[in-house]
Amino acid sequence: MDKVDLLDKFKKVAANRDQLSAVGRDPTSIVIDRIISPTEAIIDGKPTILVGTNNYLGLTFDPECVAAGQTALEESGTGTTGSRMANGSYAPHLALERELADFYEVGHAMVFSTGYAANLGTMAALVNTGDVVVLDADAHASLYDGCRMSGGSVYRFRHNDMNSLANRLRRLQDKASRTLIVVEGLYSVLGDRAPLREIVALKREYGAHLLVDEAHSLGIYGAHGRGVCEELGVMDDVDFIVGTFSKSLGATGGFCASKHEVLALFRYASRPYIFTASGNPSVIATTRAALRQLQARPELRQKLRDNAKHLYDGLQALGLQLGADVSPVIAVRFERSEDAARTWEKLLEAGIYTNLFVPPATPDGTSLLRCSVSAAHTSEQIDTILNRFRDAIQPLKARAANAD
Amino acid sequence: MEKNTKDIEQALRKILSGSVDSSVDLASETDFVSDLGLESIQVLEFIMEVEEHFDIAIDLESLSDVRTVGELTKVVAAAIQD
Repeated sequence: MDKVDLLDKFKKVAANRDQLSAVGRDPTSIVIDRIISPTEAIIDGKPTILVGTNNYLGLTFDPECVAAGQTALEESGTGTTGSRMANGSYAPHLALERELADFYEVGHAMVFSTGYAANLGTMAALVNTGDVVVLDADAHASLYDGCRMSGGSVYRFRHNDMNSLANRLRRLQDKASRTLIVVEGLYSVLGDRAPLREIVALKREYGAHLLVDEAHSLGIYGAHGRGVCEELGVMDDVDFIVGTFSKSLGATGGFCASKHEVLALFRYASRPYIFTASGNPSVIATTRAALRQLQARPELRQKLRDNAKHLYDGLQALGLQLGADVSPVIAVRFERSEDAARTWEKLLEAGIYTNLFVPPATPDGTSLLRCSVSAAHTSEQIDTILNRFRDAIQPLKARAANAD
Repeated sequence: MEKNTKDIEQALRKILSGSVDSSVDLASETDFVSDLGLESIQVLEFIMEVEEHFDIAIDLESLSDVRTVGELTKVVAAAIQD
């Protein structure tokens, strides 16, 4: 038998990449030559409207956030050069944790260096060998990786399917009390929300705990922008909320907020917290400024909702197949992956940037273009996006008409 | 409900035949990925159907080494015992 070389595995990776490029432009190799604003960039020398950035509140160029970052950079330097455990926390790390705890009205919060680390670090601390995770099948990769790192037993339930979740919890019997149910507030690919009231009812019935990832819903849902948990009135029943600073807050980093006092002890038990450098002073400063903006300017959420409805209604009027929920994440589905890829490429050529998702990266095996709407989009930009979509799908419409 | 190994394997093949080209001959040693060309997401969907059929829960960790119908049969048999 031939010896296997360590590097052989990359032949398959290369083949997969080539398959992506075969449809035309490789969607994984887009270069933003220059970013101009939350909604505009130069790509391939061309002015492009961005509608695939998760920049929900459009705060990346907010003057107050930029000024806060500049001040921190000048006053505290470019980096912390180590972990909080070894090098110590800077006062602003603790201030941000206090502000997050106050924002959620839960008492405790912990900041991580990335959103990915927040999910890994929370689950690794919370779940150990002998414990159980019951995870929505469509959960983000970071939650799957957190499960793997935790050492607990992991069972998936069908996406948003309460019978499937109830069956899992029922089978666990005595172990239900040491079980963590893991879901997302807003799912990042299809843009649908978790039925949190029903999930909370099951959590109570079986005596389990609940973690909700609000990465894509922070600043978007609820009277105070806390997320889907607030919108659905279940804040008191959620044990742990995790999220990221890299979407609506326009920075990098992540957090866990909880009503449980034990969260303070996670610092001693979470390797993704302990063994990595802490957030840069400028990043912590822009995050704090963005969190203040989120709270002080509820009109951003209203504008985002209006923009999402504008785009959703327009895409629907074009006859495109969309998800059921109107949300800032709008998935446009295509029956054939090559149709999705060609439409994505045509849109890019026409100066519209969306995200292309093809199997196996899509939750249910369909191909789609993900649009993420921003409060910073103007009404005119959304009309332009819709016009370009209409042009890009023209060949598909013509083909469908010929087939009839 | 199937209890013995032979019946379990038979049931697994039946469920699997719904996900793949029916002309493929399904044997104990048929590899889901290299022989059937299933994507990882299709394997996970197949596993979910298996869990529902047998009313069992399979820990993701115990699936990490499972590549064939025969190997999955053992995992299912163990889960039924639990």
